[in-house]
Amino acid sequence: MKDTRHEQRDTTMNDVKISASGVQVYYGDNHAIKDVDVEIKDKTVTAFIGPSGCGKSTFLRCLNRMNDTIDVARIEGDIRIDGEDIYDPNVDPVQLRAKVGMVFQKPNPFPKSIYDNVAYGPKIHGLARNKAELDEIVEKSLRRAAIWNEVKDRLQAAGTGLSGGQQQRLCIARAVATNPEVLLMDEPCSALDPIATSQVEELIDELRTNYSVVIVTHSMQQAARVSQKTAFFHLGNLVEYGDTDQIFTNPRDKRTESYITGRIG
Amino acid sequence: MVDIPDSRGTSTSSILTADKRTKKRNAAEKRFRFYGLAAICIGLSALVMLLASILYQGIPAFTQTKVTLEVPLSADVLDPEGNRDPEDIAKVITFGYAGLIEEAVENAIEEYGIEIEGLDDPAAIVSKQASAQVRNWVLKNPEAVGGTQQFSFYTTSRIDQYYKGKVTMASAELDSQISIEQIQLAEALEEAGALERGFNWDFIFAPDASDQRPEAAGLGVAIIGSAYMMLIVLCLALPIGVAASIYLEEFAPTNRLTDIIEVNISNLAAVPSIVFGILGLAIFINFAGLPQSAPIVGGLVLTLMTLPTIIISTRAALKSVPPSIRDAALGVGASKMQSVFHHVLPLAGPGILTGTIIGLAQALGETAPLLLIGMVAFVTEYPDAPPDGFFDPATALPVQVFNWTQRADPAFAERASGAIIVLLVFLAIMNITAILLRRRFERRW
Ligand SMILES: Nc1ncnc2c1ncn2[C@@H]1O[C@H](COP(=O)(O)OP(=O)(O)OP(=O)(O)O)[C@@H](O)[C@H]1O
Ligand SMILES: [Mg+2]
Repeated sequence: MKDTRHEQRDTTMNDVKISASGVQVYYGDNHAIKDVDVEIKDKTVTAFIGPSGCGKSTFLRCLNRMNDTIDVARIEGDIRIDGEDIYDPNVDPVQLRAKVGMVFQKPNPFPKSIYDNVAYGPKIHGLARNKAELDEIVEKSLRRAAIWNEVKDRLQAAGTGLSGGQQQRLCIARAVATNPEVLLMDEPCSALDPIATSQVEELIDELRTNYSVVIVTHSMQQAARVSQKTAFFHLGNLVEYGDTDQIFTNPRDKRTESYITGRIG
Repeated sequence: MVDIPDSRGTSTSSILTADKRTKKRNAAEKRFRFYGLAAICIGLSALVMLLASILYQGIPAFTQTKVTLEVPLSADVLDPEGNRDPEDIAKVITFGYAGLIEEAVENAIEEYGIEIEGLDDPAAIVSKQASAQVRNWVLKNPEAVGGTQQFSFYTTSRIDQYYKGKVTMASAELDSQISIEQIQLAEALEEAGALERGFNWDFIFAPDASDQRPEAAGLGVAIIGSAYMMLIVLCLALPIGVAASIYLEEFAPTNRLTDIIEVNISNLAAVPSIVFGILGLAIFINFAGLPQSAPIVGGLVLTLMTLPTIIISTRAALKSVPPSIRDAALGVGASKMQSVFHHVLPLAGPGILTGTIIGLAQALGETAPLLLIGMVAFVTEYPDAPPDGFFDPATALPVQVFNWTQRADPAFAERASGAIIVLLVFLAIMNITAILLRRRFERRW
């Protein structure tokens, strides 16, 4: 089998894509994210790790304002993409989300055909001028999500009729179809078998050439394999953030060390 | 290690014999199943009894006894001026035709050689509707005056009821409206082939008739009135209800105001329907000056009544769409509107339709508010086609049932049951439609 540990490219040169400072998130009285500062680089894979309930998903959802849909959620602090404040009153979250795509923790295909699932985003954003272009985008996206061969003969079948892992890859295809600049992935591989996982990891690595990818994962190995930067969250705090190599080989914080060696979490 | 005492009662627990606890649990389950079954049986038998009694009483309303007579359209009576001018013919009122019917009956007796001793007023076996029927025909065909024409008339309700087994010779003897001899005449005519019982489409399509002519009363106006009202309810309640629900469920911020609105909608659903009738009377008739007895007012009142039902079921349908679908749509950059109209609404569609149809069915069977706005009136003329017809007087199916049960002649009781059957058929059709739509469009995700 091919070694899935991809060679580490130099990331220090890359610009900052997303910068967050002093981010606080409250769900009612529950203080879920406590004063997080982080800089996410362009053309880099950043992994968020940490025990369950520590706020990884919450922070990820702040980055494309998906938390807006939760009534009790309250966000403070400053998050900028390419230097622009995404919580500025002039920002239309719809435009932001076209720029910052998302793959959710649970696969959530639309109850429509496989084709329509992928074509929906390009359609509403007007990315294709005709049917042929749309077909091309759909095929390209499905190929990138490593699912094309499995579904190419049944594009008109229901997306919900696929297996859990296939559904998740369909969701990835749907997310990349709109050509986002940043892709947020919340445990994209938790429902996948090892082969599909390595395919998705390859995809993530490929996406890195053009996009910035943020991935939440519970698998240390996966974080080590795909990411160049890693952030460790614990109880709503960003405990440690740095190069993946450094976090896994030489963590500075005791909590990070205990977590990656399997003692907390 | 601690020895845990064997709670199963036997030291060696074999799975071939049930132990005490399991037996007890099984017995409890059996008992519960029995209670459930008994409850269902009680419910079912009540339903069967209800249906059986309605069908038994109502089915005869769909057939009617008719007598075929040759009516001499004598020119002396119908066209005294002798110029066949329709205007002059129209001057002869319905009463003038009664003599012709009498003549027709006597001719028939003679023709068939019927001899009945003590037969008095033989024309009484023919419905009072007959004169009007002949007159209407003559006005349309003035050239026929002077000849004879074959007509098929209703018999009076007493003769009709005799054939349905509800009037007997014994009861006829005491009845001022029918005599034994008249029944004998009817039987003789039947033998001669001039009198028979057949399916009566007029029961469904004809308008209501007065107290003296139950045999001519039909549901036509009531069905049209109900249909008009359902149309109004559908056109108003569905869009308003769905729009309100979408706003409340998808867009409204959660605050005190929306809470209050929500509570009040639930309360509205529980308001007795007669209250809506009073409201309709005060607002639509007294204040807005809309006509009484009109489907437009009935439709508006029923719309108010149906709205909460539709809103509640639509919101339930919207709520049942998993939030992950909304997230998915927003995640690829759809706007709130797009996520609702492209994804949520299609998934909620079957639920919304079911709720709407059930709301409509409820409105179709509603009586009390319609009584208050005067839809209980005696209407013998069909309303016009919509939209003008919405302002013409009409009745409604359930009100017609109520109306007929109030009348003295027992023939109306039969018709009331017949009307209930028609109403139930409409309700069944609507409910089956709801079920089919749900089956057809239901999708899993
Ligand atoms: N919609 C919500 N409403 C209220 N509280 C929430 C909501 N979502 C998350 N929380 C709370 O915020 C905290 C962080 O949750 P979050 O989902 O971000 O954890 P996570 O790190 O993604 O966990 P996991 O690894 O299990 O997915 C938890 O305490 C959770 O209870
Ligand atoms: Mg999570």
